[in-house]
Amino acid sequence: MTIVNAVLQGIFLGAFYAVLACGLSIMFGVMRIINLAHGDLAVLGAYATFVIVEQTGASALIAFVVSLPLMIVLGYVLQLTVLERSLKAGILTPLLATFGLSIVVQNLLQLAFSPDVRSLGGSAGTITTASWQVTSGLSVSALGLLVLLVAVLLFGGLQLFLSRTRVGWMMRATAEDADAAELVGIDSRAVYARATALAVATAALGGLFLGIRSVFDPVSGPTQLIFAFEAVVIGGMGSLRGTLLGGIALGVAQTVGAQIHPQFAVMAGHLLFLAVLIVRFGGARLRLRPV
Amino acid sequence: MLKTTGLVLGGLSVPGVLESCLTSTPSTPSGTIKIGYVSPITGPASGFGEPDAYVIGLAREAFKKGLSIGGTNYSVEIVSRDGQSTPSVGAQVANDLIQSQKVDLMLATSTPETVNPVSDACEAAGVPCVSTVVPWEAWYLGRGGKVGQPSPFKSTFHYCFGVEQFFLAYTHLWPQVTTNKKVAVMWPNDADGNAIRGALGPLLRQAGYTIVDPGPYEDGTNDYSAQIARFIQQDCQIFNTFPIPPDFATFWRQAAQQGYTKHVKIGQIAKTGLFPSQVTALGAIGNGLASGVYWAPTWPYKSSLTGKSSKELGDGYESTTGKQWNQQLGASLSLFDVAAAVLTASGAPKDKSKVIGAMKTLKVETPVGNLDWSKPASLAGTAVPNVVTTPIIGGQWNQGVSKWPIDFVICENSSDPKVPIASTLKPYTAS
Repeated sequence: MTIVNAVLQGIFLGAFYAVLACGLSIMFGVMRIINLAHGDLAVLGAYATFVIVEQTGASALIAFVVSLPLMIVLGYVLQLTVLERSLKAGILTPLLATFGLSIVVQNLLQLAFSPDVRSLGGSAGTITTASWQVTSGLSVSALGLLVLLVAVLLFGGLQLFLSRTRVGWMMRATAEDADAAELVGIDSRAVYARATALAVATAALGGLFLGIRSVFDPVSGPTQLIFAFEAVVIGGMGSLRGTLLGGIALGVAQTVGAQIHPQFAVMAGHLLFLAVLIVRFGGARLRLRPV
Repeated sequence: MLKTTGLVLGGLSVPGVLESCLTSTPSTPSGTIKIGYVSPITGPASGFGEPDAYVIGLAREAFKKGLSIGGTNYSVEIVSRDGQSTPSVGAQVANDLIQSQKVDLMLATSTPETVNPVSDACEAAGVPCVSTVVPWEAWYLGRGGKVGQPSPFKSTFHYCFGVEQFFLAYTHLWPQVTTNKKVAVMWPNDADGNAIRGALGPLLRQAGYTIVDPGPYEDGTNDYSAQIARFIQQDCQIFNTFPIPPDFATFWRQAAQQGYTKHVKIGQIAKTGLFPSQVTALGAIGNGLASGVYWAPTWPYKSSLTGKSSKELGDGYESTTGKQWNQQLGASLSLFDVAAAVLTASGAPKDKSKVIGAMKTLKVETPVGNLDWSKPASLAGTAVPNVVTTPIIGGQWNQGVSKWPIDFVICENSSDPKVPIASTLKPYTAS
């Protein structure tokens, strides 16, 4: 029964990683940008929700819905002011730009909110501690189930959006070949801005779950980014469906690893990540080619 | 030029004279004393740096008229730097303060990541350094001090609580609630966690507690169902942990989801839960957690530099900043009390060897207690020079005590009986 519980908790944890990783996967898939500020944008989203909770006393889940449009606008502005310029300057510049953005966001948050830790757990209501006790060794937490449900809806919805809608087709076409897409009249600038807005919105969702699961402070972003990044790589870079499965694989590896020894939990995730890297890229000739 | 003279004279002079020759290099006017102050203002430990602005303001005000030492009036300048909670930055800012600012005395506080590299840089340069808020074993053993061997440290000094104070606090706090004496521990695989496992674990076992230790986990772990299942199965009614704050928040919420908190009668946390914001952030499940403090406004000691009592310090902070007092306030100010006292006692504050000499026997009243370096700490029966122990007082976070959302209520005073007890420990019921 312990192993069943471990796998179940791992799936819940993995769904959380997948939500965090979703925006990272979108930005890499569409623009080939590895966004090092993704974790910090998630934390920024958590703060936006936190401020609304403080001001209105609303539940964190409702406050999130209010903060979402703000984050979407932020994504647009971010693309048009920072990322678009850096994209023109080669492969390395967006990486450096997002690294700089990460530092700027952390320090602005520290100025605005002080280093005190915050949480959305208290204001999200009893859902954060509620659970169904199936047997003494197996419990299904309401929060875990909610995160899993949201993750499945999010990734399923995105998949439908990309395969069924006009904007989705434009996004895929631009991801495939931006210049060719321009030739048939797609405005890649607008597509990129939409992709970034979408990525920042999902980051905010990840921030919401981070804030409910645990606590956050202005420098919490980078610690979560590593797990999100691993989820993207395990699932295959640029593949959305893969990111959901990659997140869950990472989560299950960590919880099952913890059954062997607590110290092995984080390590098991890293080992899975390395194994995927070796299987996928090992033996292949390393070639330098333009992306 | 001076260096050459020093070398020539070196053969003849006593070391103290040589040192004073070298250190009188006039980068600042000889009538100005420079004090370096390093703390974590940014990074994961930045909560500790939060009262700095207020405390340094108080110290600057008190130093405004200068310090009168040996008939000379010295003006005092405080140069503060952010250690960024990162050892490499701590070392870098310390070296900058030593070499460019030519500080006469260094102060450092809060966590081994900030304090230890500063102490190391000062030890290497022969600059006197006083530090606090790092469990003293982590400061002494973590920097290469060995049990049963003479102390390798000449110019660096420390005052803080250690494992013994935690042990005293826990063994006086826990019997106040009836339990099965089974202690679930979450001690991580980091400097603090491993030190506690090695030192506190055996002491608690001797005192009759059963330790249920699933083994060290890595900082940043996001799921604790393996440990929680074990604690439920063993019915551990006492819980103890020394984690980084986000890990505890994650753990405790999962423990509530999976039903472990219903078993807990005492939730004893250390390293997290030091500041009210960390406990408030947990929401309802934070109420009733037990913790420890190294200073509170009810402590019967005053700051000898500013003349402020502990109560005045806490009230002043709350009215000036609009924020609730936190325990780092007293600890940060105590560093400046020590600085003023040792500079005065040295008789020659610009002479590093005199300042170091004066530290060895210094007695000074600070908000955290009366410190006396002539009575050093001891480790396995051997005195540890340069280190003074200070108390940890056990108590409980309770909601609805004052106008603030949550307050720390002192429930025992075994390591300093002069600190007043406010209440007794109540069983944890917030699950």
